[in-house]
Amino acid sequence: MAFSVEKKQGFSVVVLNGDVDLSRSPEARRAIMKSLKKMHNVLVDMSAVDYIDSSGIASLVEGFQYARANSLEFALTGVSEAAMNVLRLARLDQVFPIYASLDERITSGA
Amino acid sequence: MHAMGLRGFTERLGRRFAGGVEDFGHGAMLLGESLFWILLGRWWQQPVRVRAMVAEMMQVGVLAIPVIAILAFANGAMMAMQGIYTLRDFGAESQLVAGVATAVTREFGALITGIVVAARSGSAIAARIGTMQMTQEVDALRVMGISPVRYLVAPILAALMLMMPLLTVLADSMAMVGMAVISALQLNMGFATFVDQVWRALTPGDVWQGLAKSFIFGVMIALIAASNGFNAQHGAQGLGRATTRSVVLCICAIVVTDMIFTFFLIL
Amino acid sequence: MASMSASKVLMGEPVVEVESLGATYTGIPVLDDISLRVYPGEIMVIMGGSGSGKSTLLRCLLGLHRPSAGRVRLFGQDISGLGVRQWVVLRKKMGVAFQGGALFNSMSVGENVCLPLREHTRLDPNTMRIMSRMKLEMVNLAGFEHLMPAQLSGGMLKRAALARALVMDPALVFFDEPSAGLDPVVAADLDELILRIRRAMQISVVVVTHELESAFKIADRITVLDQGRILMTGSVEELRNSDIPRVQRLLTRTFEEQPVDPEAYLRRLTGGAD
Repeated sequence: MAFSVEKKQGFSVVVLNGDVDLSRSPEARRAIMKSLKKMHNVLVDMSAVDYIDSSGIASLVEGFQYARANSLEFALTGVSEAAMNVLRLARLDQVFPIYASLDERITSGA
Repeated sequence: MHAMGLRGFTERLGRRFAGGVEDFGHGAMLLGESLFWILLGRWWQQPVRVRAMVAEMMQVGVLAIPVIAILAFANGAMMAMQGIYTLRDFGAESQLVAGVATAVTREFGALITGIVVAARSGSAIAARIGTMQMTQEVDALRVMGISPVRYLVAPILAALMLMMPLLTVLADSMAMVGMAVISALQLNMGFATFVDQVWRALTPGDVWQGLAKSFIFGVMIALIAASNGFNAQHGAQGLGRATTRSVVLCICAIVVTDMIFTFFLIL
Repeated sequence: MASMSASKVLMGEPVVEVESLGATYTGIPVLDDISLRVYPGEIMVIMGGSGSGKSTLLRCLLGLHRPSAGRVRLFGQDISGLGVRQWVVLRKKMGVAFQGGALFNSMSVGENVCLPLREHTRLDPNTMRIMSRMKLEMVNLAGFEHLMPAQLSGGMLKRAALARALVMDPALVFFDEPSAGLDPVVAADLDELILRIRRAMQISVVVVTHELESAFKIADRITVLDQGRILMTGSVEELRNSDIPRVQRLLTRTFEEQPVDPEAYLRRLTGGAD
């Protein structure tokens, strides 16, 4: 299943799903980078992600780095407990802006 | 006591022979596997890396250029001097170029290249693979699912198969230069005349013979050196023995193969 | 930590399954009737002195040594009849940290860690770099990626090897002698690291060691190997309470006086000649 990108309230929401592993993370990376290169703020919706490995995380890191360099916003939403564990292991939970949902991001202002 | 000695001798001989057969089998396996990866690796998504091949070509080939150039030049000059000395008695100095040029392109260009590369790379390859074997780097490759033959041997084999004929062309040319210098000094032969005589003396077959041989020498060096590396016994002594054995075997194999080749091609 | 996980129920299909394995080395039998299982998420320590056969056992588990009897299953697959491609699939699911690190000397630490990715995936080089840096970060080697292996200390080499073993997110990691050749403080750090990685990545770990202290600290279960046979397999607690004399001796490190058979001893000394 491909990863969809939706325009919502000024954000490009990249919806990841299923397993984001070695075979599918290049696709996730492309989806994220494509939105960023259009100078969109990006939210990555991870609520449908069953499993994400370090190649998936690395793609998120790349996206975040690109966003920072171009003064764009990049945040994760709907991070499952399993995915959170992987992030914590690499201490990236302290790096990415993480919200429960798009709505939480909107109400949080910023 | 005497019988014991004889038995010991035959036993040692037998063991040597069995070892030789085993070596040969190991070499043949390496060759098969390397060729497999070179030809089909890409299709299996396990390619032999071009970068590794280029690095090996640099190591075994390009860096050998100065030594080969000097040795080939000297060899050409020596053969010319000896030739002049011998032919003078028959008043046949004019035949010098034809004789020496043929010998160089058929035999000595390839032989010099083979011996220099065997001496330089035969030991280096055995030492490198032997060290990697001891530090478990070869095991590390295996457990990563990377074939050590594909990763270590195939690039060397490919590099040698490509570089040996090229180096032989270089050796041939440098030997001609050496010969030209001596001819100019001793026979007052002009450069144009020299080139003309070489041109007329040599057939494409002469050159091909040398190149084909050098190709085979390259294959032999790669296989002998690699198999000695993989089979190196542990410890510094084992490594030393493996590298020495590698060089000696490479040079022996080259000279003997050369002789067999010549025997069948000339007679 | 160890006691907590020891009480954990061992569940699921074993990731490593050894069945009555035997092995010889240069014709001499070194392993006999070895059977053991490693379950998902478990740290299994294979312990034994030098000459106990633990290295050969590890080589058998890794498919580097052909057993003379019995079988080894990894992830449920018998490894004796695997083709090249099936092996590669299996290899991607396991990582190995060798005793001396076995890093490739011609490559930097970063390139070493990246190597499995470069050979087995088609990821973007940038992604690979980030992945390998993440793993170096995990083993506390951040910032060392540009160094060459020759510039690292023994402990750092082992940690770099661990990073390389982890880079493909394996489900099973083998660690050969993590504390050998290290001073106690560095060795303790490495033990801590193994525990942390297991906890975070939920992977199975097989550690081969001769260090009692390290084994007690990290093991869920310990298999004690002696002269090519398994003395016992059990939790740290079970090991401590074992009444097997040889196990007790191992724990208290007492030397066992071998009884002398005068006839045989004399024959040994004189080289067997009558």
